[in-house]
Amino acid sequence: MNKRRVTFLFIIVLLGFLSVTIRLVDLMVLEHERLAERAHNQHVKMESIKPRRGAIYDNRMRELAVNRKVESLYGVPREIGDPALVARKLSPYVRMSDRTLVKRLSLDKSFVWLERKLEDSAVQRIKRLNLSPQVGFVPETRRTYPKGSLGAHVIGFVNMDNKGSEGLELKYDEILRGRSRQRQHGMDAHGRALSNGGLYSGSTMGDSLVLTLDEDLQYIVEKELFNAVKKWKASSAVSILMEPDTGRILAMAVSPTFSPERPDKPEHWRNRAVTDVYEPGSTFKSILAAAALEESVARPSDRFDCSKGYIEVGGRKIRDDHRHKVLSFAEVIQKSSNVGAVKIAQRLGKNRFYGYIRSFGFGAKTGSDLPGEVRGLLRAPERWSGSSIGALAVGYEVAVTPLQLLNAYCAIANGGVLMRPYIVSEIIDADGRTVRSFSPKPIRRVISKKTSAILTGILEKVVQEGGTAVRASVLGNPVAGKTGTARKLNSNGRYSRTRYVSSFVGFVPSDKPRLAIIVVVDEPKGAIYGGEVAAPVFRNIAEHALIYLNVPRENNGNILLVSDER
Amino acid sequence: MKLDRRLITNFDWLMLGLVLTLSIVGIATIFSATRPIGEAPHPTFYLRQSVWMGISLVGLISVVSMDYRWFHRFSYPFFALGVFMLGVILVAGHKGMGAQRWLAIGPVSFQPSEITKISFIMALSRHLAETSKLLNMRDVARIFLVFLAVPLGLLLAQPDLGTGLMFVFIFTAMLLVAGVKRQVLIALVLTVALAVPFLGSVFWSGLKQYQKNRIVAFVKPEMDPSGIGYQIAQSKITVGSGGFLGKGYTKGTQGVLRFLPEKHTDFVFSIFAEEWGFIGSVIFIGFFLLILMRGLETAVKAKDRYGYFLSVGIVFLLAFYFTVNIGMTLGLAPVVGVPLPFMSYGGTALVTNYLAIAILINVKMRRFELFY
Repeated sequence: MNKRRVTFLFIIVLLGFLSVTIRLVDLMVLEHERLAERAHNQHVKMESIKPRRGAIYDNRMRELAVNRKVESLYGVPREIGDPALVARKLSPYVRMSDRTLVKRLSLDKSFVWLERKLEDSAVQRIKRLNLSPQVGFVPETRRTYPKGSLGAHVIGFVNMDNKGSEGLELKYDEILRGRSRQRQHGMDAHGRALSNGGLYSGSTMGDSLVLTLDEDLQYIVEKELFNAVKKWKASSAVSILMEPDTGRILAMAVSPTFSPERPDKPEHWRNRAVTDVYEPGSTFKSILAAAALEESVARPSDRFDCSKGYIEVGGRKIRDDHRHKVLSFAEVIQKSSNVGAVKIAQRLGKNRFYGYIRSFGFGAKTGSDLPGEVRGLLRAPERWSGSSIGALAVGYEVAVTPLQLLNAYCAIANGGVLMRPYIVSEIIDADGRTVRSFSPKPIRRVISKKTSAILTGILEKVVQEGGTAVRASVLGNPVAGKTGTARKLNSNGRYSRTRYVSSFVGFVPSDKPRLAIIVVVDEPKGAIYGGEVAAPVFRNIAEHALIYLNVPRENNGNILLVSDER
Repeated sequence: MKLDRRLITNFDWLMLGLVLTLSIVGIATIFSATRPIGEAPHPTFYLRQSVWMGISLVGLISVVSMDYRWFHRFSYPFFALGVFMLGVILVAGHKGMGAQRWLAIGPVSFQPSEITKISFIMALSRHLAETSKLLNMRDVARIFLVFLAVPLGLLLAQPDLGTGLMFVFIFTAMLLVAGVKRQVLIALVLTVALAVPFLGSVFWSGLKQYQKNRIVAFVKPEMDPSGIGYQIAQSKITVGSGGFLGKGYTKGTQGVLRFLPEKHTDFVFSIFAEEWGFIGSVIFIGFFLLILMRGLETAVKAKDRYGYFLSVGIVFLLAFYFTVNIGMTLGLAPVVGVPLPFMSYGGTALVTNYLAIAILINVKMRRFELFY
């Protein structure tokens, strides 16, 4: 028995063992990380779960924007033997022309979109054609706006990929869309999800917005605005409803409007309440009056001679539309005398006047959460011409957004504090839990309570007998407000004699304001005065809104009679 | 049956201990590899393997209690029976994995080729034990024709490439141990060097498609004609992902998640390595090396040439199985369908391996006994 031969053979066996061990070092130590990663990647799939878009609710949780499940149709050209036949079957449901369809179905691809977001009825009919696997469906969601165009300018809309394009949909896009979550789940070699993976368990959803907007009030405002635009053949109109104490925007409407589900006519998409400016005209006199009273340069009983009918400022004549006599400070506002206003402004001086204009929030964004808001135009006093103080006194040489002006009036109404206007009151998650809530935020005190009370008293006279806006008076509740009738600038830089902006801005009940409302009608035909065009819109909105809000009526026969007379 | 007390004292408890440990580790690994996903009931492979282990132990004890020189007497008839059974399954066997290897007797299926291996070693041992000169060319040719040609032909006809290779390997190893003339040695080296390319093409054309696939997959895994490359890649991933310390028992993922096919049979080592890491694998290899060295010790100390060749044959049988199986799981050897002794699921193989170990114990135990 030869030991040498056995040993020799056993060494070969040992070599085998050695190579196995070396290989183990190679795989388990040196290559470990790479192989472990491969193992991990094989069975741990990261899936990005696109959340459903959050909803938008009004202040009473009524749905303004939600999602509907729809299905999108795709084709698998590689599975299609006869593109023409398939195209013929599908053509009633697909918007593209038959030729494009055939071409698409003949591509050397395994996926082509044929039609996005089909309605259920069409889906059912296509499914009955039994075309799978040549075509298939991908579930998607379509953003729907159950109230149609209601609040369209505020809410905005989304594009085909459910990404916000306008309005709050754009501004809060990230919040509404939610973060697509990376979900990790185990997969076996056959691609089956493991039971503990819970692939589709639980729905993810972006956060939802709860607005301060009230669906009913919005409806009231939109209806009145629509009627006004129709009646006066106006080019457009804007109205906003706010709560003076809080800055909450209860309604915000632009006419003409659009359908957010089929947004066409991009020129109608702008939320003019914040994106467009206009020269406010006489509505701006309240700002002047507030400043003059606060600075004590005039008392309500002070008298101003307006009998000349015009006044020269810096080489420019500023006229009254109607001749007045000697008017008290209060009457200057009530009857909206330009001459009186200029005289008050001159007493105040340009720096103090400018200071109050700034203080009331003009020339700066209101800080609202509405997208596309602009600052407006306001020049600093150093850049004023000699006539500027006169122009500003009557609401020219300054451009404001309707929201800026209404917000300034809110400060007058609530005792003198400028509030930050806002429209989103709460962000809630899919389970209804509050993620973030917004509360009223005072910006600064602009005028004293006393000034506010005095000015409110003066503004109440505007809607009373002898004022410019008798038609703004409301059944059973006192109104304070101011009309505005401003000429629009022509393209040649001169003020037009035919194109006006008629407006009314005010609050009600003036003794305990619940609502501040602005109505701006752009280029009305047939009548131009704010008291004639905008004031009745204000009244209609206010009356309906007060009933809706259950604000009790005080039976003031006087107002009732006067308002009905005209 | 008379049992000498010396037999008990000379019983190789270490060998039995090593083998039992490996079997238990094997059952535990089968248990872990076949864990179901979710609430499904646990497949009973590990229970069946336990039963087979019991049967194997009974077989081991009965083989140990007989004097191995009885085997000497029955070596040739036993071998003839083994070859006959190989012939039977070609006619009556049922197919599994593209090859006829199984023979069903009642509810039990078994692979006769497993038993044939032992009988082959026995017969060859007897022949070599009775030839005490260096073998020349003619001797080698004669032994080849008498012992190897028929079973090899039958195996390749099945086709069972792995077992066929194993027969060739054992045959060569045992002849070399018996001693061959230098001319034979030179001829062998030359034959291997020259014949491989030539025989390769003949051999290739004679292969079944799945066998070709395996070889293609081994040489060029990226071509992956039938998923064998996938099997190799997955095995490497499984082993490599275990790392130095392993994922821990029943913490392995690749088998349970069905990435690694054949996880409880031929590729059970991959699962073991995944869960016990490099450390566990090295210890496992150490155990195996101990068994082989113990077997060689038995061979060298055997009291007769028959016991010597018997032990050598068994040691190389186990060494071949082990190296080829592990090499295959690590991508070092082609996938030829060779199970890992004591570990892989499979009753016939387990019983055969226990019988082989029993023979080793038997030879060692009786080394001091004198001839009567």
